[in-house]
Amino acid sequence: MSKISAMMDTGKRSLMNSQTALQTVGHNIANKSTEGFSRQRVELLSNVPIGEGGLQIGMGARAGVVTRVNNPWLEKQIQKEGMSMGYEDARADGLSRVEQIYNEQNNKGLNQYVTDFFNGFRELSNNPESLASRTMVREAAVGMTKDFGRVTSQLRGVQEDLDAQLKTTVGEINEITKEIASLNEKIQTIEVQKVPANDERDRRDLLLKKLGDKIDITWAEGRDGLVTVTAGRTAILVSGIGSSELKAQPTNTRDRMEIFFQGTGTPANVTEQITGGRIGGILNVRDEVVENLLTHVDNLAYTLATEVNKAHIEGFDRHGKNGVLFFEQPEQVKGAASTMSMNRTIFNDVSKIAAASRPDAAGDNTVANVISALQYRQVMDGGTATMDDYYNTQVGQVGAMVQRAVKSQESQKNVMNQLTNIRESISGVSLDEETTKMIEFQKTYDASARLIKTADEMFDTVLNLKRL
Amino acid sequence: MRIADKMAFNQVNQNLGKNRSDMSELQNQAATQKRINKPSDDPLAAARVLAARTEEHGNSQFVKNINNAKSFLEFSDQSLGELSDILVRAKELAVSQSNDASGNAETRMVTASEIEQIYNQAVQIGNRKLGERFVFAGYRTQTTPFDHAGNYFGDDGDMKVQTNKDSFVAMNIPGNKVFLGRGLDGDGIVRPRYETPTTVQDVKEFQQEEINRKEQNEDVERNYLMTRGPASEFQSNGKHKQDPVTGAQGVNLFNVLKGMETSLKANDKEGVQESLDLLDQAISQVVLARSEVGSRVMAVNNTMDSLQKAIVDNKTTASQLEDADAFQVISDINKTDSTLKATLETSGKLIQPSLLDFLR
Repeated sequence: MSKISAMMDTGKRSLMNSQTALQTVGHNIANKSTEGFSRQRVELLSNVPIGEGGLQIGMGARAGVVTRVNNPWLEKQIQKEGMSMGYEDARADGLSRVEQIYNEQNNKGLNQYVTDFFNGFRELSNNPESLASRTMVREAAVGMTKDFGRVTSQLRGVQEDLDAQLKTTVGEINEITKEIASLNEKIQTIEVQKVPANDERDRRDLLLKKLGDKIDITWAEGRDGLVTVTAGRTAILVSGIGSSELKAQPTNTRDRMEIFFQGTGTPANVTEQITGGRIGGILNVRDEVVENLLTHVDNLAYTLATEVNKAHIEGFDRHGKNGVLFFEQPEQVKGAASTMSMNRTIFNDVSKIAAASRPDAAGDNTVANVISALQYRQVMDGGTATMDDYYNTQVGQVGAMVQRAVKSQESQKNVMNQLTNIRESISGVSLDEETTKMIEFQKTYDASARLIKTADEMFDTVLNLKRL
Repeated sequence: MRIADKMAFNQVNQNLGKNRSDMSELQNQAATQKRINKPSDDPLAAARVLAARTEEHGNSQFVKNINNAKSFLEFSDQSLGELSDILVRAKELAVSQSNDASGNAETRMVTASEIEQIYNQAVQIGNRKLGERFVFAGYRTQTTPFDHAGNYFGDDGDMKVQTNKDSFVAMNIPGNKVFLGRGLDGDGIVRPRYETPTTVQDVKEFQQEEINRKEQNEDVERNYLMTRGPASEFQSNGKHKQDPVTGAQGVNLFNVLKGMETSLKANDKEGVQESLDLLDQAISQVVLARSEVGSRVMAVNNTMDSLQKAIVDNKTTASQLEDADAFQVISDINKTDSTLKATLETSGKLIQPSLLDFLR
């Protein structure tokens, strides 16, 4: 093989290599801000040299594969931590909303309404004959029952909002799993030709992270390059090039969204299996925290209504008639706060409020005193706490819970930031670096062109030998 | 470590975000002057603030209760003051008419009519009203307690009001105690229990006690000999035991005055002399009642002092727990502000130049 034409050839290939490399640099720069992108690199290899006599002559370089610079182990760790991030985010969001319901720093809350109610009876005890003080008792009682209703309905409102979030999130999950399945297919098609599907893998990694942010998943990549994704323990969302959907819908037994896996058979309720990601956080707030608080409010309302009723029914009203129930007696603890209401008869006629312990004694305030003394009696938690203690403890606990949740969220955010930084330090695009490469390959391109020019001149020289 | 551009941008974002959120938090503290704006800012303190507020509201109500009780007690005291004044006048008259040196049939007749006026005044005092309530009617505040004959239509209820978490004070003195001396002497009358029922169980027991007490007292009343009428008919029930607590003997003021009037009209010198003793007892009975009222006023005044102190204490506690330290907040704002500016400045430097800027 003629040396000059080999030179020409080496130059040509070098030109092409430089173009490939520059194209990759361009791709990197263009994707500098693309989420989940890993910078790519052209692997340049020197060609096999030709042996000629005692000489080994290099035959230039060729472009091998375009690989992405990426640490799969780190990606997996980020995905796992992202699951906790989603969980903490959802929890902190949900809990901050719950906290507002219990925030009495700035506005009037249940604690104050309860105090007003008992103060109403104290006022009545000052002046049991007066209709004005009786009306005050009614207004205070109405205010208090309304506020019990407010707390419950706001807590329910949070649950409903979380339900809506669940539904949206499940929709997003289904979109993502569909895309993962289609990426599985693309990756398989590309890689069957022994070419790495860099961008598709980046995208799939990113989607797995996004999926993990929403729901707790486990996934594994098979030898064929396909990933299988399982949510919870049993819901196989992506298998090969196929995906299955999740569905959020209320059950017959409960008016709350539950998560169903729509496999091939009948839909299976997988709600209990999901403990991570945003959905895990949402479920935790909705089913544990808020349910717990609802029970506590109900407890308080039930005890208050029952105890007041017990005393009130022993008394005598302004006309010397036997006392009736002050509140509609709640049948059970569950739902007591939302159904709490004054006895209609008393509401319509405040003279039916029984302040006296005996008939025919307009100034008798004994029963009014018993009811107002209820505020300082330990009637909650098996006789260990007053109603105020009980409620204030709730507020303190909500505050502590929110504080902890926000702290966990912050520290998780730090973990994520650090991991993302490490990822960027490995896979991120640096403009300086790409610019340097650009200059480097441009020079290479330049030099290769000069080589071709030189070879061309050498050919000319050879061809013009005769004329010389 | 390799630094990718995104790292720099992320870092700038995070740092600016943190500074801005610190600033907004501080700004909020400055605007509300509160360190705690939601329970999670300091859960323990927030719960304590809430407890302090509850207590404060309770205490303010107790202050109102006390003011109400005080005006009732002071009005009673004032009435009892007048009552004792007229009894003293009656005693003066009795002294002057109890001997023949300063009294004769004619002066006694004249005095009798003054005593009648005093009697009327006593009835009128017994029927005093504060607002719409008869002060000396026990629980039956809507019923005129005394008719002109001195019959009592009230009861012996003590209207108790809560003056502190676990204390109650009676704000009235039932008329039968002051005017009729019932339950003061060893006359067998049982008075209601002193403790205020505070639980349902208590109320039930109390109600049963009251029923028993009523029967018992009715029984005593049935065997009680009325002492109204001519002086010669005057007699007490003969027991004349002193009240073990007060040391006083109960007398019926109306009977005393009526008896004195009768004696005067009948020119019965001995009768008038006897009235003198009885008037002494009557005066001490009224003075005793006044001192009881007075000691309650003192008690509520003391409670009032401690309540007002508690209210201030509560406010201080709440304020110490939740108020922002203005100096701290302002200096923190300045600090954060300069940090923010520094971050912005360095961020600008960090982001701006790349190799490209030098390749022109």
